[in-house]
This record gives sequence, structure tokens and C-alpha cells, in this order.
Amino acid sequence: MKIKVTQEKLSKALTCISRIAINKSTLPILGNILIRVEDKKVSLITTNLDMAIISYLPVSESENGVITVPAKLITEFVSNLPKGENIEISTNDTKVSIKAGKYSSTINGTIADDFPELPEIDEKNAVIFKTSAEDFKNSIGQVIIASSNDLTRPALTGLCFDTNNGSLFAVSTDGYRLAKKEMIKKVESEVKAIVPSSTLHEVLRTISDDTEEIEISFNEDLVEFKLDETRIVSKLIDASYPDYTALIPKNNDTVVTLDRDELMRTIKLAALFARSVDGSIICEAKTPDSFSVRSIANEFGENDSNLQTTVEKDSKTRLNSRFFIDALNSIGSKEVIMEFSSSVKPIVIHGKNDDTYTHIIMPLNK
Amino acid sequence: MYDVWQNALAEIEQQISAANFSTWFQGTSLISSDHGDIRIGVKNTFYIKQLRNRYLDIIKTALQNNNIEVSTIDFLVQNTTKAKVRPREVTKNTLIADAKKRIEHVNKKLNTNINSFNNGLNQKYTLDNFVVGSNNDLAVSAAKNIIANPGTKYNPFFLYGGPGLGKTHLVQAIGNALVKQNPDFKVFYTPINHFYSDFVDAIKAGKGKEFYLRFQKLDCLIIDDFQLIVNKEKSQEEFFNIFNDLYQLNKQIIVTSDRLPSQIKTVDERLASRLTWAGAFDLQLPKFEDKCAILRAKAELDGVEIEPEAIEYIAENVNTNIRDLEGEFSTILLMSEVRGLTPLELIQNGAVSVNKTSKLHPTSPKQVVDKVAKYYQLSTKELRSKSRVSNIKTARQVAMYILSKDLKLSTNKIATEVGVKDHSTVIHGIRKIDQDLKLNFTLRDQIEEIKEKIYG
Repeated sequence: MKIKVTQEKLSKALTCISRIAINKSTLPILGNILIRVEDKKVSLITTNLDMAIISYLPVSESENGVITVPAKLITEFVSNLPKGENIEISTNDTKVSIKAGKYSSTINGTIADDFPELPEIDEKNAVIFKTSAEDFKNSIGQVIIASSNDLTRPALTGLCFDTNNGSLFAVSTDGYRLAKKEMIKKVESEVKAIVPSSTLHEVLRTISDDTEEIEISFNEDLVEFKLDETRIVSKLIDASYPDYTALIPKNNDTVVTLDRDELMRTIKLAALFARSVDGSIICEAKTPDSFSVRSIANEFGENDSNLQTTVEKDSKTRLNSRFFIDALNSIGSKEVIMEFSSSVKPIVIHGKNDDTYTHIIMPLNK
Repeated sequence: MYDVWQNALAEIEQQISAANFSTWFQGTSLISSDHGDIRIGVKNTFYIKQLRNRYLDIIKTALQNNNIEVSTIDFLVQNTTKAKVRPREVTKNTLIADAKKRIEHVNKKLNTNINSFNNGLNQKYTLDNFVVGSNNDLAVSAAKNIIANPGTKYNPFFLYGGPGLGKTHLVQAIGNALVKQNPDFKVFYTPINHFYSDFVDAIKAGKGKEFYLRFQKLDCLIIDDFQLIVNKEKSQEEFFNIFNDLYQLNKQIIVTSDRLPSQIKTVDERLASRLTWAGAFDLQLPKFEDKCAILRAKAELDGVEIEPEAIEYIAENVNTNIRDLEGEFSTILLMSEVRGLTPLELIQNGAVSVNKTSKLHPTSPKQVVDKVAKYYQLSTKELRSKSRVSNIKTARQVAMYILSKDLKLSTNKIATEVGVKDHSTVIHGIRKIDQDLKLNFTLRDQIEEIKEKIYG
């Protein structure tokens, strides 16, 4: 096997795929990268058996062959080589030699026979969506914060991709809050699948400034993301997702419109005094025009802020300030609308003039 | 169905590497087999292609060896293979099988003479085939006390020692004896890692409460390989709760580990102190006489004849643990059968060479002194000085001890190596460490750690 490639291209590809290689696996080969050259097509592959990343490398010269090398070592070696250098990789049996100008090294590789065979999506039977990388990145970023990492509830450790009324939605919840985003309007095919958050984190990291479009394909138990020269294939979570539509309250008593930055500052100030009470703050709306945020820390003192807005009905609720800050962080609009009531109904927050994103927080018990 | 698959798995395990087996076959299950149409459940879709392309033949043979007809094999994703109710095709055969199972189950329930659940004990471990020697007599007498009066004096019973010294054997023997003398006595044996996976499965299946109740009904809980406890707060909390409840009810708790709980980093301090409330018993490496006794007992048990000289030869040359000792013993017996020679002739002809000396690579006295000094954060010069400062003195004596016991140097030679005046100081030093070792667990562990550094 032999390839010639520039340092930038190789380093970028290696960094992108080597993150999921597991060093301490019971199966040592999972800590390796598979390099395969076939008819001038060079692919670099890693997998952790939950997902796999495949990166195609544009090369100037190549000879067919296949080998695996320790992911961490080769990635760090290549990334420390000078930029602009031409790198030549060749194999002699399982010895992989890497040459770049003045620098050269030989890494002990392993034959590829033990490297797992990866599942593939049959495009004919797959449900495929396409969207701009920027939209995807923003949308998933808004939703992923509400996903859970509680492994005893597997369904909640992923994002639910769900088509509803002709649109594709991404939803996540950890039982205390929920985020829902309309990702693509007017889709023709239907899907309901739970994609692991860890996979989506990898996809987000892989999107670069140059990435234009991203293609998502689903089949029964796999999902694949295609972007630029990279494909990310992952298992889907095999569980049933809770009926989130029932969680979103329809009519809340009080609806207030507030300036996002001002509200953020207010919540952050209140959060300082809420540390000893697990971030619990009290939001209260009073007719005709007062919205106040209060927090009390018995030892330190208390905080009270007032914002001006129009209020039609009195309501008072208690909620977690950290969740509130997370929610405001994922809303881009200048003004936000907050819907709440004095009962145990969840609080709804969304941007003004933006009906694609909804964030819901459960109130704390009084 | 489950058992057949376990048998097949055991067979597959023999044929492929341990890493491959645990990666690809752990968590698989046999969902159904219907006239040769086999369906196997796997963790996720990444496993399907690998199993199909690489291991299909092995699986097929293993199933056929277990009298299962195989024509096609299908793989399906099953997320929690243990906890989930398995979707299976109902056929006439499965219906009959189900009915049979139910009847069996009811019969078992009615027949209260046997424990109505799997207690995890292996019948082959008994106290009768456990050889008592100076290396384990304390632990054995405690074990006998427990069998006579469970849940009283030695509760919890904490047993520790290196691998292959008989921890599992001894605790299983206690369990078996308890069940034997009172069949209604509910004993449950589980390695701690199985305890966790069961716990997680139970939680996933929403049966956390049942899990807890199941343990509460026990009369004796035996936890093996406690050192594998993981740093998962919730699981540890659950274990702690079960432990406390059983303890309050004066139920016998037995725990084994390869070291003391205080030395397991992941263990919560409260739990660590509670485990050794009733003391900690250790199993030590058997001495020469103990090893001879073990081999003689094994020969008697297996009904084979072996010359006393051969026994002594094996006992002298295997210095790692009892498992290795028995392993070498079996190898020699097997070879003697194959070659048609008696074990002693075999050894005298040099046809076998037994040498298991606990990874003791040859090492120089200087290396030993250097490593000991380094361990106690001293320079070699300081160790070899005339200083009487307590920690330097201890270090010097530890070095003498190791040089004498492991390298078998003469006391005079040791004296020059560690820089003391004459051999009488050395003799005193070695005797001092020997004596301290009996009482001082920390010292023992320190020496183990140093040895690991020297030979590792």
C-alpha cells in the first residue's frame, strides 16, 4: 500500500476520525484506524461499535492495499509535522512507514483481518433528507442540550427525529426539560428514529466552515450522515420515545414578551443567589406591567430584579435557573416569549417571530 | 433455549480469542429456533455483519453440536436481551415447550426442598475437598464457625488473597454446606460484576424494586471478586443498602476480594469500613508442606497414583498459586498417560520442566536495592548509609528481606549490598520484617508493591 498526500489534508482527516477510536477496548484493534486504498480511492475508518466514521482522502498517488495503525499515534505524529509538507505512507508487511521531508517514522501496524466489518445503508430502501450544514448545526445545537445522559433510560440519551405534519422535527428531553426544533419543512418521506447524542456530537464536530450540505439517511436500525468527504454511520437507539407532543402545554395563563439579553442578565444575577438552593429562582408576573425574578440564599442575602412588560394575568412559578439559562442560550431572537402559569404546567419559552423552536421547562415544586 | 445458547457460547469461546469473544458474543441471545430457522439477538446493528461474515460457521457448528437443527441463521437487534420479553414466533413446538416449562416451574415451586431459584453455587466446591494448611487454617476455622452459626460472630466475613488461592472455593463451600444442612436456607452467590449487570438490567426493565426485594429475602449473600466493584454511585449505593439491610437482619454476608477494601480506590469509605467490621481473613501462598498436601489430596480425589518424589518436585517448582499447582499436576499426569511413563520417570528424563516462580525474572541485587530505595523515596546512598532514621531503617530491612527470600543471597553478601557492618545485623533485620509481616498489613502490601516494581 502506498499513498502520497499533503499534511493538511491527512491531518484534518485523521483528527476527524480518530476521536472515536477506543484505546482501552477489550478488542485492541478498535484503537486503530483502518487505511484502505482501492483503485485510487483512499478511505480512513474508525469504529467503536456504536458508530463508525469513514473519511475519504484525496491523494496524488496511490497503490492498493489495506492496513490498520494505532489511531492516537499516527494522528499525533501527523499533526506535529510541518504544514505544507508532502507525506508519503507505505507499508512493508505490517510496518507502516511515514515520510515527510526531513522526518520519517515506522509504526507497527496490524493486519486488517480483525477489523470489524461495518454495516451499510442500502440507499434504495433508505429515507433520505438533505439540509444545509449551517442549519443542521444550529438546529441540533439548540436541541441537544436537553438530552439526558442517564443510561437507565436509553431513549432519552438520544435525539428523536420525527416527521409530523410534513416537517422533520428534532426533539430531546431529559424529563425536566424538552427542546423541539422544526428542522426541515415540506419533507416527503416519514421517519421516527432516535439518534444517539454522542453520534450527533461527532457530526457537529465534523462540520467545518467549508461544509455546505449534509445528507441524512435512515433505515430500520442505522443512520448515516454524509458531509464533504466524510460519512458517519451510527446505530439507532432501539427504544420507544415518549409522546412529547402531550408534554407541550397548549394554553398557559400568562404570556410575557421580554428582551432576551436583559432577561439573561436578570436570570444570571438571580442564579448567583440561588446556588445554595439548587438554582431555584422565582419568576412572578403582575398586572399590568411587572415581571420580577427573585432568589433567596439564606446565608448570603437575596436578589430581586424587575423588568417592564405587558402582563394580562398574574402568575408565579419557581424554576431551575441553569435550565433557564440553557434555554435562553439556544434562542437566537432578540425578544423571547415566555408562557407560564401558577400551576404545575410546564413553562414554554420561544423566540419572538420564530415558531420553529420551542423550549419547555418543568417548574420546581413549591 | 437459553441453556442451549449458553452451551453453544461456551463452545465458541474455546475457538476464538477472548477479546473477540467478549466483544462480539457478550449480550447475544437465542431468540428462537424453528425447524432450522435460527434467530439470534445482538446488541446493535454493528454486530450483525461481523457475526454473519466472520463467525457464521462457528455458530452453526456450535449449535449443531448442541443438537439444534440449522438451516438459516438470522440476526436481530435486541437492545436489552436479558430484560426484554423476547418476541418469538409461536409455533406448536414452542407452545408445548412453554407448557412443559411452566409445569416444571410450578413443580419446582411446590417442591420447597430445593431452593426455588438459581443460587449460583457450584456443587463441586465443598469443604471436604478444600485442603487445610497453615496458609489458610484461620479462614477455614472461621468458615466452619459460620456454617454452624450463620450470621453471628463472623458477619460480614471478608476473605481476601491473591488469585488462585481458593477464595471462590472456600466461600462456595460455605454456601453449599449451609444449603446442605438446611435446604430452606436461601443462599445466593454472585461475582460483584454480575450483581451490577443484573442491577442495571433490572432498572432498565423497570424492576428495580423487585431486584431489591429479591436480595432482601436472602439468608446468606456471597459476593465474589469484590475488587471489581465499579465507581458507579448508584450501583454502589444499592449494594450498600442491601448490605445494610441484610446485616441488620443478622443475615450472613460473605465477601471475597484480592485485597483489603481500604485499598480498593473506588470503594466508598463507609462501605470499606463496614466490610471489615468482623475482621478480614486472608488466604496466603501455601508453603512447601501445604503444597504437597494439596497435591496428595488431589491425587486421591482423582484416583491416580503418583510418586511422592514427583509431588515434591512439583511443589518445589510451582511458586505462584494453587491454580497453577493443580494445572501443572494435571499436565504431568496427562503427559505420563500419553508417553507411558510414570510421572517421576517423566521428570527425571527431563521430559517436563515445571517452573512457575511468580514472574520472578532474574534480577541483580543492585536493582533490588535501587528499587526499594526509590519506593521509599530515598537515594541508594541514603539507604546504604548508617542512618538510624526509622524510615531509612525500614527500607534497609525490606531490601535485606527481599534479597534473602527472593535472591537467596547469603547474609554476608546481603550485608555488603545494603552497606551494614556484618551478617548479624542482616539476620536481625530479616527476622524483624518476618515478624512484622504477621501483624502489619501495610508492610505486606508495600513489599508486594515493591516486588511488582522489581519484577514487573
